[in-house]
Amino acid sequence: MSTALESEPGVVAETSERRLRTAVWRLMKDRPSAVVGAIVLGLIVLLAIFAPLVAPHGIHDKIGPPFGRPADFKPLGLDDGGTDVLSLLIWGARISLIVGFAATLVAMLIGGTVGILAGYYGGSTDTVLMRITDYFLAIPDVPLMIVVAAIWGPSLSHIILVIGMLLWTSTARIVRAQVKSVRERVYVKRARALGAGDARIVFRHVLPQVAPLLVANTVLTIAVAIFDETALAFLGLSDPSKISWGKMIKNATESAAVSYGAWWAIVPPGVCVAIVILACTLIGSAMEDSLNPRLRVAHLAARGFRIGTEG
Amino acid sequence: MRGADYIIKRTAFALITVFVAITLNFVLFRALPGDTIANLSKVPGATPQLRAELTEEFGLDQSKWQQYWIYLGQLAHLNLGVSFSSTEPVTSEVGRAVVNTVPMVLLGTVFSVVFGTITGVLAAWKRRTLLDHGSVSLALIFYSLPTHWLGLMLLLLTAGILPRGGRTDEFLFNPTFTEHMIDIGKHMLLPSLTLGLVLYGQYTLVTRSAMLETLGEDFILTARAKGMRDRTIVRRHAFRNAMLPIITLVALSFGYIVAGSILIETVFSWPGVGLLVSRSVQRRDWPVLQGAFLVLTISVVFFNYVADLLYFKLDPRITT
Amino acid sequence: MSAQPITARAALLEVHDLHVRFDLPNDRQLHAVQGVSLSLRRGELFGLVGESGCGKTTTILALMGLLPSSATVSGRIELEGQDLLAEGEASMRPHRWNDVAMVFQGAMNAFNPVKTVGSQLVEPMELHELAEGREAEARAGELLELVGIGKERASRFPHEFSGGMRQRAAIAMALACDPKILLADEPTTALDVMVQAQILELLTTLSHDLELTLVFVTHDLPVIAELCDRAAVMYAGEIVEEGSVETLYHDPRHPYTRLLFAAIPDAMGDKDVASIPGAPPRLDQEIVGCPFRPRCDVSFERCVTERPLPIWLSEQHRAACHRNDEVWAAAAP
Repeated sequence: MSTALESEPGVVAETSERRLRTAVWRLMKDRPSAVVGAIVLGLIVLLAIFAPLVAPHGIHDKIGPPFGRPADFKPLGLDDGGTDVLSLLIWGARISLIVGFAATLVAMLIGGTVGILAGYYGGSTDTVLMRITDYFLAIPDVPLMIVVAAIWGPSLSHIILVIGMLLWTSTARIVRAQVKSVRERVYVKRARALGAGDARIVFRHVLPQVAPLLVANTVLTIAVAIFDETALAFLGLSDPSKISWGKMIKNATESAAVSYGAWWAIVPPGVCVAIVILACTLIGSAMEDSLNPRLRVAHLAARGFRIGTEG
Repeated sequence: MRGADYIIKRTAFALITVFVAITLNFVLFRALPGDTIANLSKVPGATPQLRAELTEEFGLDQSKWQQYWIYLGQLAHLNLGVSFSSTEPVTSEVGRAVVNTVPMVLLGTVFSVVFGTITGVLAAWKRRTLLDHGSVSLALIFYSLPTHWLGLMLLLLTAGILPRGGRTDEFLFNPTFTEHMIDIGKHMLLPSLTLGLVLYGQYTLVTRSAMLETLGEDFILTARAKGMRDRTIVRRHAFRNAMLPIITLVALSFGYIVAGSILIETVFSWPGVGLLVSRSVQRRDWPVLQGAFLVLTISVVFFNYVADLLYFKLDPRITT
Repeated sequence: MSAQPITARAALLEVHDLHVRFDLPNDRQLHAVQGVSLSLRRGELFGLVGESGCGKTTTILALMGLLPSSATVSGRIELEGQDLLAEGEASMRPHRWNDVAMVFQGAMNAFNPVKTVGSQLVEPMELHELAEGREAEARAGELLELVGIGKERASRFPHEFSGGMRQRAAIAMALACDPKILLADEPTTALDVMVQAQILELLTTLSHDLELTLVFVTHDLPVIAELCDRAAVMYAGEIVEEGSVETLYHDPRHPYTRLLFAAIPDAMGDKDVASIPGAPPRLDQEIVGCPFRPRCDVSFERCVTERPLPIWLSEQHRAACHRNDEVWAAAAP
């Protein structure tokens, strides 16, 4: 890339948008699994959005006896309250996904800000912020989440904030590294020489370059956030008025679904969580790989070089 | 001595983190506004006398700073307060719980490290073959399964064959040592296995990527040029070098192990620190929660510290 | 030191019609080496020159069978009469380091950072059962001394060596099993001029003292001119000209060679530094006609359709160009 081109902010934005598009295109060719993951994730999100239209029943509708079998109550049987499991899954998707996405948003905002400040200003700001990040990293997150959630009280917003406040560290690190490398590039120096203010430089020059990796990191964070919601729900720390996949697992456990052998109350929500986590992991790591190509030649091959016969 | 600097820095970091955790503990449980938890003397059903004693002991009628100071002093004496639900000292409850958690977690972790590493090495070595793709897919699936849900699945699958939960069979009277051990073993199998499977996925992926990175290095080509067989190269050069990033990433998984053990012990009612956490959350038994949280945090910091030292020992390049 | 002149000795390594193809996605292939033939004798200093991407590194990697599984190799590589390619990996491996050793490009990274330098010199000796334990360690020490590094450094780690020292240590390591042929891939790039001169001198001395055949791969012409007896010029995967360095410099018979050597600044500063405009052809497509034609200043109709085959101009000199019945030395660009 020539530096002359890069001094134009419009061109910078275009180049990095093109970069993102190339990354996505390469993704589709090299990692079909990631594409499948994205499609599945998209479908689940759609189902959640259109829950009122798609779910056969409401979450409070008692259709039959507790733990009605799937053979009798298609397709997935009933939970301990006699409610249709499939409907619970669809409605529960809403909360699970909302918590996952919202907590990630919080984490991204905090982490992104910390990373940008640390990377851009460097010096003592950097050191202080990174020390704080290190301590946050060193303290195990789930126990802290549990403690804060227990003290603060279970409500949807509390849960989102609690999870978000413990997931920002990886984002901060990645953003900081990127910002540092971008900061030294010629067009940024040029913009500064031209008198552009810090905020302007950050938003028009630095952020577009940081964006692709940030997106990859975000997707991976969503996976963790959804897991954390399940964990908190399992321990009774989720919003009691809302149903989520994690809550479904908790309810089933508490009402001795295992003893009843009512696998249909336990398996589906876990499968849904696993699918979403798997999809996010596939997409996120595929994006990371394509943006940070470590296309090294593996010097060991399963077989050595081949002997040919043509001249 | 090589890297004296490094050791000092890491030790200082570990100690400061522990201190931050201790302070965080105090802030969360005692210094936050609102009196629902701040008052340690609010042991439900306690006699006024007990309350007075506790108030005296913890300085609950003094300023927050003074309480903090008292708190630090008590930590030094391993006094963590009294449980709300059992009125037992927290220290002894947590102590017992730790003794139960350690073997279960150890078994699961060893299982997953051993199998995860082996699978990861093989997958990297036989890259792009069926073995590689299969191992990665399997690892990804296990990695994505929620820990507690996997435990429940295993319970469903082994219903009737293995115990439902707990550590021992209450109806086993006067067991011999062997019988007792077997009993505990039967109860420990599923919880450890759950932990092992969940971690296995992570360690496979981590080992594989560390090995792939190493196998692309120039010194591997040199080794091949010297006439070494692939097998020897993997063993003597690749794995030895990949151990460095593997240790780092294993260390990062300690937090995951802690989270996992909380969920697993809850599912299987295994009487360890994890179960203590979830029960104390349920019962709003704040002193116990506080004590368990502190113990968990300090152990993670400690093991990370050990990993740092190990890394330092293995990598001759580190001097500062 | 043998009294026999180099040219009179029997051939040590003979390469016949070597082809290397790499698999590319979408069922295509990269024809990286297109019919290379060479003959090397004991103790000679042979240069392999060309711009990056011409296939010189791939060629010498092929000589040791160090190509990945995406590569298909055909042709014959005969070491003292024995075909190394006969059974692929199995026939290659025993000769690695024993007979043919290599100093890689960027030898700084040839060493495993977590093992001592000495242990990495000892390793091939024990592997090929030439020495072990104390004996091997002593020999490693001697080798280090041979390249000008104190033997007490054997217990040190690679990162404790400077770039130039690591290069020399890599040479010592390559000599561990007393090979007959040493392949050196850009051994002096990324080193400063003083160190470069030292390394070159070291290699020349070693070649003379140990009767070591040296194949020197580089894109740096002055080095070839100074160091080598004979050289081959590679372009687009094939050898376009081969001969003594004297001949290549004074009587080049391929336009590429002529333009390349003309680009060497004269000590007097008389000649212009000419760089050759254009780029080499793609090797994933079949080349019609002469590969150099697009950049050639003297091409004619025949060059468009017919690929030139090498023509022997004298016993030691051959070139692959249709214009070889004319003398080009006089034709100034």
